[in-house]
Amino acid sequence: MSGILVVAEHTRGVLADISAELVGAAVSIKKDIGGPLCVIIVGQNAEQFVPQMNLQGVDKIITACVGTEHFDATITEEAVYAAALREQPELIAIGHSSSGMSFAAGLAVRLGSGFAADIFAIGMHDGSIHATRSGYGGKVNIEIGFPNKPMVVMTLRGATFKPPIEDGNAELGEIEVDVSTKSAQCTKHLDYIEAPSAGVDIGKAEFIMSIGRGIQDEKNIPRFEALAEKLGATLGCSRPIADSGWLHKGHQVGLTGKVAANCKLYVALGISGAVQHLHGMKHVETIIAVNTDPNAPIFNHATYGAVVDLFELCESLEKM
Amino acid sequence: METRELFWGLQSAGTVAFYIIGFSAIGVSILGIVHSIKKYMRGRASPVPLDLWRGVRRMVADMLSHRTVRRRDTYAGTAHAAIFFGFVILFIGTSTITLDYDIVGPMFGVSFWKGWFFLGFSLTMDIAGLAVALGLIAMMVRRVGFRLPKLDYRRTYRGETDLRPPAKMWRAEDWIFLGGLLLIVLTGFFQEGLRHALESPPWGHWEPIGRLIGSSMLALGVGPSEISSLRSLNWWLHGLGALMFVAALPWYKAKHMIAALGSLTARDPLALRRLPRVVDDGVTEIGIGNISEFSWKDMLDLDACTKCGRCHEACPARAAGYPLSPRDFILDLREHNNHAQGCKQEKDLFEGGVISPDTLWACRMCGACLEICPVGVEHPVKILQMRRRLIENDELDPLLRNVLNTISTSGNSFGEPARKRSAWTSELEFAVKDVRKEAADLLWFVGDQASFDPRNQHVSRTVARLFRAARVDFGLLHDGERTAGNDVRRVGEEGLFESLVEHNMDQMSRAQPFDRIVTTDPHSYNTLRNEYPEFGAMAPVVHYTEILCELLNSGALKVAQPLGLKVTYHDPCHLGRLNKGYGAPRKLLELIGCELIEMPRSRDNSFCCGAGGGRFWIPDAPGTTKPSELRLQEAAKLGCIDVFVTCCPKDLTMFEDARKTAGLEEEFVVEDIAELVARAIKLDEFDLRDLPDLMDKIATSVAERVMVSVNDRLDAWLQEHGSKIQAIRYEAPDIPVTGTLPETQQITGESVQSSLRPTWTASVVAPIALRDYAAPAKEGIRIIVPIKQTGTLSEDFQFSPDGLSIKPEYFEYILNEWDDTALEQALQFTEQQEGGEVVVVTVGPPEAEGSMRKALGKGAHRGVRIWDDSLADADPITIARVLAGLILEEKPDLVITGAQSADLAQSATGVALARLLDLPSAAFVIKAQWDGASELLVTRELEGGIGHSISVPMPALITMQTGANSPRYATMRMIKQAKTKPIENVEIESLDESSRAAVVRELRVPIATRAEMFEGKADEIAANIIKVIQGKMGAKT
Repeated sequence: MSGILVVAEHTRGVLADISAELVGAAVSIKKDIGGPLCVIIVGQNAEQFVPQMNLQGVDKIITACVGTEHFDATITEEAVYAAALREQPELIAIGHSSSGMSFAAGLAVRLGSGFAADIFAIGMHDGSIHATRSGYGGKVNIEIGFPNKPMVVMTLRGATFKPPIEDGNAELGEIEVDVSTKSAQCTKHLDYIEAPSAGVDIGKAEFIMSIGRGIQDEKNIPRFEALAEKLGATLGCSRPIADSGWLHKGHQVGLTGKVAANCKLYVALGISGAVQHLHGMKHVETIIAVNTDPNAPIFNHATYGAVVDLFELCESLEKM
Repeated sequence: METRELFWGLQSAGTVAFYIIGFSAIGVSILGIVHSIKKYMRGRASPVPLDLWRGVRRMVADMLSHRTVRRRDTYAGTAHAAIFFGFVILFIGTSTITLDYDIVGPMFGVSFWKGWFFLGFSLTMDIAGLAVALGLIAMMVRRVGFRLPKLDYRRTYRGETDLRPPAKMWRAEDWIFLGGLLLIVLTGFFQEGLRHALESPPWGHWEPIGRLIGSSMLALGVGPSEISSLRSLNWWLHGLGALMFVAALPWYKAKHMIAALGSLTARDPLALRRLPRVVDDGVTEIGIGNISEFSWKDMLDLDACTKCGRCHEACPARAAGYPLSPRDFILDLREHNNHAQGCKQEKDLFEGGVISPDTLWACRMCGACLEICPVGVEHPVKILQMRRRLIENDELDPLLRNVLNTISTSGNSFGEPARKRSAWTSELEFAVKDVRKEAADLLWFVGDQASFDPRNQHVSRTVARLFRAARVDFGLLHDGERTAGNDVRRVGEEGLFESLVEHNMDQMSRAQPFDRIVTTDPHSYNTLRNEYPEFGAMAPVVHYTEILCELLNSGALKVAQPLGLKVTYHDPCHLGRLNKGYGAPRKLLELIGCELIEMPRSRDNSFCCGAGGGRFWIPDAPGTTKPSELRLQEAAKLGCIDVFVTCCPKDLTMFEDARKTAGLEEEFVVEDIAELVARAIKLDEFDLRDLPDLMDKIATSVAERVMVSVNDRLDAWLQEHGSKIQAIRYEAPDIPVTGTLPETQQITGESVQSSLRPTWTASVVAPIALRDYAAPAKEGIRIIVPIKQTGTLSEDFQFSPDGLSIKPEYFEYILNEWDDTALEQALQFTEQQEGGEVVVVTVGPPEAEGSMRKALGKGAHRGVRIWDDSLADADPITIARVLAGLILEEKPDLVITGAQSADLAQSATGVALARLLDLPSAAFVIKAQWDGASELLVTRELEGGIGHSISVPMPALITMQTGANSPRYATMRMIKQAKTKPIENVEIESLDESSRAAVVRELRVPIATRAEMFEGKADEIAANIIKVIQGKMGAKT
């Protein structure tokens, strides 16, 4: 009649980071909603992830051993549906990921539950769950409630909630999932295709380090390329850099380039912040701007700023 | 009496033979002309009216003055004049002999070709012949010795190092033309010389060249018998040479002698300034993609080209290394047209590889080629018409497609809401009239660049202040103005241009009275002045440089301090070359005391900045030098310039950029002419304030100070009493940067819990039934694409009074990008399977029909719109239930949705819909293949760009990720035409409001981020940056 059900996620034998983050979010609200906090792991070898999911605050881990190790929306939905009927949770937390989004809304339809996606904060208000998401390119935060719903299915934003650090002491359980009636809807796994390594995809990159006119010369490009790689960032650039042919057009952020649609952290080096460039990145949650001009418009849109010589800074970052 | 024998020493059989050959030659020539005329008759009617009388007068004037041939190439001009006039005289001479010998003589028995007339005639012919010979030799010397790039037919911009076969032919015909003519003239002189050597006529000095040759021959000791036989041989050589020239005339380069008469006569005086309208009769295909779709005048142009290469030399695209040479464009078309004549199966110009699209997109529509062409070829107009076909076929740069989409939704290329169009005026000390409400002398049509680009906004404000200082009564259309469309039209999107014209004309016609229209933008100036009048009555249009000139001349503005600067001035193509506005800017510079140092290329030879013809919106290919950089280098070579002056907003942007990229920041500054005028009149010292406005501002400022002070105190008090307040005031959480949740979200008291909670139940939700909807019978496959018209929120939005929604005026509505991708996939499937229908479905108010029309314009077959006011702001599951109610009726083979909407991005509707329809699904598809069988192969996109390939049993639902394809462009014309496609409006039975899966409780603006500055040395800053990166990206770094 109460409690939280967390759906763990894994791809190609690796547990996704979001799984533990979901537990972290669930733990933070467990005292308001009430226990137990159950985790369900769906997959052929579901039990292999049990130790990793046995985190502080988790009361129960349910494994649903289905016939495939590859994600299938129908099978996962079926398993979580069965677990929900048995556990009757008040909240079902699913990752706002490619897999999570593939079945969460369908599950909500099956359960007739409340539903919201890409939630970055959860709370209780007047005894019922409320959630916060953002809309319109991050310009508005939307507070959502679920009146008359005894249960809510939610997908939670990744890299937002802190996973518990300590190990837990969860009880283990299993659930039988009968997918025979749904077999006509199951997809067939064929293959995984590795991401092309040479190409850049500004639209999908989560962390972008962009360079602008401040880098002065084409011969400095390799240096910044190396720095971006070191930091784990995708290299972006402003229009003049792409126009000069110093970097391929695919790197360009802005009105005439790509919008950093999925970017969470944007480091702008030597970019003054022309409107055209801002168009492509000002919505990013965290922006670090570095420029020699303290009046550069980019500082009006940045979270953090620094007025420093680009090459000195580059040298310092290289040393780190 | 002085005369000479014509058919000297010729037997009657010879004379007969000569006449036979002569008439045959004329026959072949006429045949050639008829062949050409038949070629031109394949073309369409000319899209612009032809004023024959005016055209002939201008053609004759151009020919007699040799104006077009002399320009920028005196050497070639003089040589051509010598050949041309010499040839004309020789032609008249030959005709005179024919008249005397073959017409007047036999018919009336009279002869006038004798006596003094004959002597004068002989001298004239000698001089004319000499002129032709010298001209031809000069031309040969130029070809051999000058090594002019414009005469090199290698397409170096395509990496050619050798001449391709047709180019070899061109070179051959150039030499045959020059050599053949020279042979005729020289053999003529030689014949004359032989005659003199044999006869030594007493009047011989009237033919000085013949006499010279004759006496030389005698001096060399050539005997009379040799002279006789030589004379007979040379006679035939000369005669046959001349007849061959006549026969060959319409078949090779010499054709320009006739074709150019036509092309010069039929030249459109408004070419490029006013582009031809599209024939939209539903039958004729838009634009030009086949050679026979060109007009007869275009084909005449092709034949008139003499390959002089002046256009090649003038073209900024060619100069910057782009794959376009106007000369080669014309010659390639000509070759193709000659081959195509008589061919049954005509190949497409693009698919056949005759003209490559990148050649067409390289053009800046600056008109440099058109301007300099000596024979009146109108290259850009042909390029434009071919672009129209490319646009129609959706073959355009994706970025250009985005810009066109942006313009069609927001009315400007910046994608800014109309409301912000006059935002640049808010920093002025005075209010600017709204012409829609108050009459004004001048309507200022501002244009996009001057309205939205920060650097140009500054110029716009300067111009406004200058007007104000001179007490000019001016006003704007404010948010009623949309981009004038000059460049939209030059890109080839005629339908969009027409809709912009329609809008702007309507705004102007509803405005209060005004006398003139002024603009700072030469592009707007051109279209408003030359193109808008074709759509309705327009007030006179002037450029601001003219107004500023008037103001300085009349004393309304007075120069307080002559600037004494050395400046150079760049003529904007659309002001100078196209509209001959050379005077006002130069006069202005003189009035404000600037010394103007002209660049080598100025006025009609001004070198385009590269922004015209829509190229402003298409990025330059990596590695190419930009025309703007070449231009600034030209200015830098002057060596002593303080300011590079422009009077065009696009110029200012291009040259400000180029100054940085070309490394000329130390050399000079780039300024708009208004900025110089402002300094010269000391605009800073004027008080331009509105008194009432000033009062307002003072009041606001006082109010603000009070607010700040009250707020500070309130904040302090709240901090002190915060804990108590928290209990009564609900404050929603902010975005947790670190992933920990702010404490505020767990504020609810522990005791209020369980009593309010509804009983736990789980029951599947059902589709919502529609009122009276019956789907049409299925023919072939049916794919349903649910679409959403999403709102892009402007920066300065406000919430509705209840705080639960945003006022609609702050949105720009567009077709959701993800749904556009889904639609493209659906259209591709039906195209691959050569049949079936794509049905677009939307849940939205009547305004959503805009996006639906767009989808229908792209090729969807019909639309269904479902609406009920209770669905406003509905959650995705409710929307899915409504869609399911409809789709169950449609019984589709496949449903393709967007993976998410651009505005709310829940990524839920599609997946919920699949469950409601009980269909297998795949979300975030980046690749889909379907051969119509029972299985769909898709690749889903996982985190990190990994693809997951799966097969999905059919029927199914897939949700598309952007980037899976590039959605096609629907031209405004296609969208208009799609108005005949049905959109059915459907209502829902009823919706139980309480069944919603979620409701909005509150909207808030996230707390604005102002950069928190990291101080210290580079090392400290670096450490801080690393800390942020680690905090944000976690263990990944």
